[in-house]
Amino acid sequence: MTRTQIFRAAVVLGVLAVTGGCATSEEWAEWKAHSTHFASDQHMGFSMRNNKDGSNPKVTRRDMESSPRENWWGKVITVRPDQIFEN
Amino acid sequence: MTRWVVGALLAVALGAGAGPALAAPQTPAEAAGEKVIPLERYTTPKGQALARVHQQRLQRYAEQVWGCLPWLDLQKQSIGFQRPKGVPGDDRYFSTWILIPQAENKQFSALPQSRRMSAMFSRYGVDMMRRMADVHDVLADSNVHGFSVVLSWLKPGTSRPGVQPVNESVAAFIDKATGLDYLERRIPHAEFARRIRVVGFDGQTDLGPQTLDIWDDDFAATFKLPNYEPPAGISC
Repeated sequence: MTRTQIFRAAVVLGVLAVTGGCATSEEWAEWKAHSTHFASDQHMGFSMRNNKDGSNPKVTRRDMESSPRENWWGKVITVRPDQIFEN
Repeated sequence: MTRWVVGALLAVALGAGAGPALAAPQTPAEAAGEKVIPLERYTTPKGQALARVHQQRLQRYAEQVWGCLPWLDLQKQSIGFQRPKGVPGDDRYFSTWILIPQAENKQFSALPQSRRMSAMFSRYGVDMMRRMADVHDVLADSNVHGFSVVLSWLKPGTSRPGVQPVNESVAAFIDKATGLDYLERRIPHAEFARRIRVVGFDGQTDLGPQTLDIWDDDFAATFKLPNYEPPAGISC
C-alpha cells in the first residue's frame, strides 16, 4: 500500500468517525431538548391545563400517582430484584 | 343462582382486598415506607446492622426522591443496602432503583440498546448517585462499600397495543472512592465507566456486563415540572 493510499484510507475513516459521532450528538441534542419523554401525555397534561380564569392549577405528586402509570408498570416484564441482588 | 351469589361475593371480597394494596401512597412517609427495604429482609449481620442504624435516614431520603422527582417512580423495597448477586463477600451498596416512564420516541428508539443504557445512566444514574452522596451520614459509614443504581424504562416498541411491554434495565455498582472521585470531577467519564460494574437486562434476560459511554446530562437535576407543588414537608 502506497503512502497516498494510506492517507486516503485515513481520511475516509476519519470522515466516517466524525459524521457518525455528529449524527449521534444531534440525536441526543434533540432527545435532551424535549421533555416529552414521559409515559403518557397525561403526565405532562397536568401541568398544561388551565383554569377558566387563566390561572394554572398546582400539580401534586398525588396527581401523578393517580395517572395510568400504576397499571402500566404493573403489566411490564422487568428484571427481578433477585437477578441483581442478594439480601 | 347460588353460584352467581358466591361469585359476586368473591368478586367484592377480592376487590375490597385489592383496593388498599393497589392504592397509591398519599404522603411522603407512606411512599417511603413501601420503597425502603424492611429490616427483616436482610439476611446477614452486616446488612441488618446497617439497616438498623440508617433506616430513618433512608426513609427521609426516599421521601425526598419521591417528592422531588414526581415524574419518576421508585421500585418497591429497593432503597437500602444491597449486595450484588454472585459476588463473594458481603460488600453492601447504598442502593436506589428508579422506574423511568420513557415514552416512544423516535430518536431514542433509533439508538442501539447499549446506547440507550448509556443515555439513561448519564441522565438519571449520575443524578441518583449525586442525591445519594448528599446523604452524608450513610455514605460516611465504613460498612457502606459504595453506590448501586438500577434504572428501568420501557423498551422502545413494546408499549404499542397488543405488544407485551418490556422494561430494559441497567444495574450499576460503584465503589465509594470511584463514585466520589467522579462526582467531584477528579476522574473523567471514561475512567469512571471503566471502573464501575454494570449489568444490563432486556426484560428478565440477563445481557451480561456492559460498558457504558457516559457524558454530562443535567436534565434530572434541572428539570422542574411546571406548577408542581412538592408535598408538605419536602423542599426540593
